[in-house]
Amino acid sequence: MEKTIVARTGNEAMAEAMRQINPDVCAAYPITPATEIMQIFSSFVADGLVKTNLITVESEHSAISACMGSAASGARTMTATSSQGLALMHEILYITSALRLPIVLAEVNRALSGPINIHCDHSDTMGERDSGWIQIYAENAQEAYDLLINAVRIAEHKDVSLPAMVSTDGFIISHGMERLEMYPDNEVQKFIGDYKPHYNLLNLDNPITVGSLVLTDYYIEHKRAQHEAMKNAKKIIPEIFSEFEKTFGKKYDLVENYKCDDADFILVCLGSTAGTAKVAVEELRQEGIKAGLLKIRVFRPFPAEQIVKVISKAKAIAVMDRAESLSTQAGPVATEVKAALYDAGKILPVQSYIYGLGGREIYVDQIKQIYKNLSNAKTSEPVKYIGVKE
Amino acid sequence: MTKKPEIKTWKDLNVGGVIESGTSEHFKTGDWRVKVPIWQSKNCIHCMTCWAFCPDNAIKVQPDGKRGEYDYDFCKGCGICAEECPITAKVMNEIKKSDPNFKLTAWDAAENPVFREKAAILMVSIKEAKEKFNIK
Repeated sequence: MEKTIVARTGNEAMAEAMRQINPDVCAAYPITPATEIMQIFSSFVADGLVKTNLITVESEHSAISACMGSAASGARTMTATSSQGLALMHEILYITSALRLPIVLAEVNRALSGPINIHCDHSDTMGERDSGWIQIYAENAQEAYDLLINAVRIAEHKDVSLPAMVSTDGFIISHGMERLEMYPDNEVQKFIGDYKPHYNLLNLDNPITVGSLVLTDYYIEHKRAQHEAMKNAKKIIPEIFSEFEKTFGKKYDLVENYKCDDADFILVCLGSTAGTAKVAVEELRQEGIKAGLLKIRVFRPFPAEQIVKVISKAKAIAVMDRAESLSTQAGPVATEVKAALYDAGKILPVQSYIYGLGGREIYVDQIKQIYKNLSNAKTSEPVKYIGVKE
Repeated sequence: MTKKPEIKTWKDLNVGGVIESGTSEHFKTGDWRVKVPIWQSKNCIHCMTCWAFCPDNAIKVQPDGKRGEYDYDFCKGCGICAEECPITAKVMNEIKKSDPNFKLTAWDAAENPVFREKAAILMVSIKEAKEKFNIK
């Protein structure tokens, strides 16, 4: 297959993926740093490059509500947002996942207020981790492009049928220009195929009720059904990734194992920091320290078994969280990694690090220091901050 | 998709909890009322303003396009029909001319004898609706 090599920012890469996906409906509202995605996409609409019905709305709450209506009527639906925009979508995110509507959202990670800030951290998506959406974190523009295409297949799979968000780190990826391999439009179309919705609200020959009131008698059964769909997603995502690899030659999995097989010390993180951490791993290995990196690509569903398989032979683990849960115990990712290890009967020292909030830069040397701290780790320690002015 | 399953477990639910249409017909919301609207057809001009404003489609339309009775199975007794009725406005203006201190709204104006005689829609108590108008 002929690939086109272009220079694109993360936002441009996501907009290009959306152009190739060519959704039936997009409803969106601009917000930094995700604005460009829909800005570029709306020019594709204006230029007739896509057949998408673009709905401009007055808020993110309205954007996701319009998406919900569109998806309930059987249309392939996408949107994009960031930070406060995602937070404003909060209540409707839960409804879209409960209605099992496979909306795909291009998310750009940005700190939630306050204080008000426009730069990268993961507090926005971590705030929606329990919303029933599939969450996929991209490390770079290539992943953002590839994973957004994959997300359509994953979300629309009949045994999953859940909304999915693919996120990039605000400014670091969204506005950083990188080398991007793009696939031909028709090959992307062939890969995603036609959307076969479970139901269609506008089918007058078969009228239905969507979103009915469910009280004490069946609410918990609805959640149990969603739980099953998420479990299915954990099985189906690797299948779709492997089909993607066969088609486009790019290999993805729920997690990325970077030199963990013989590692004494393993660092776990999400998103663009994995790129920086890979440099740290290389430098440490030259110094004779067996360092490894586990990048969690899919955070919802949480790939506990896959994570344990990669990290459980290490001497100590550090988990880097770009979001505060303010529990004072550990960051959100660290908490789940610890739980996964506990469930597997593997009790290892796990250190929880909070870093990069509000776009605070993270450097190779800081990550190397974390690995060095690990060599002294005897037990799990409470959460530590790095890169903070003490 | 719209099968009406006998739901025993979570596995029996349709994807997304979708169910058949028209289920609100089985869910009678009329018993939510704290007051009952009474339509006085002799004063009605069939402008259909009440029908347009009714949030529950609880005002029936007759085959000739004129206003019909309330559907008391679904009327929640919100009083919007009485409030929006142009006859209400007309009668209230008339009362205010002779009694500048008249401050009642459509919700409780049925206490006033002139209003009671001339209005097209009265909001009455459940007790009165039952005893005088035979509405359960």
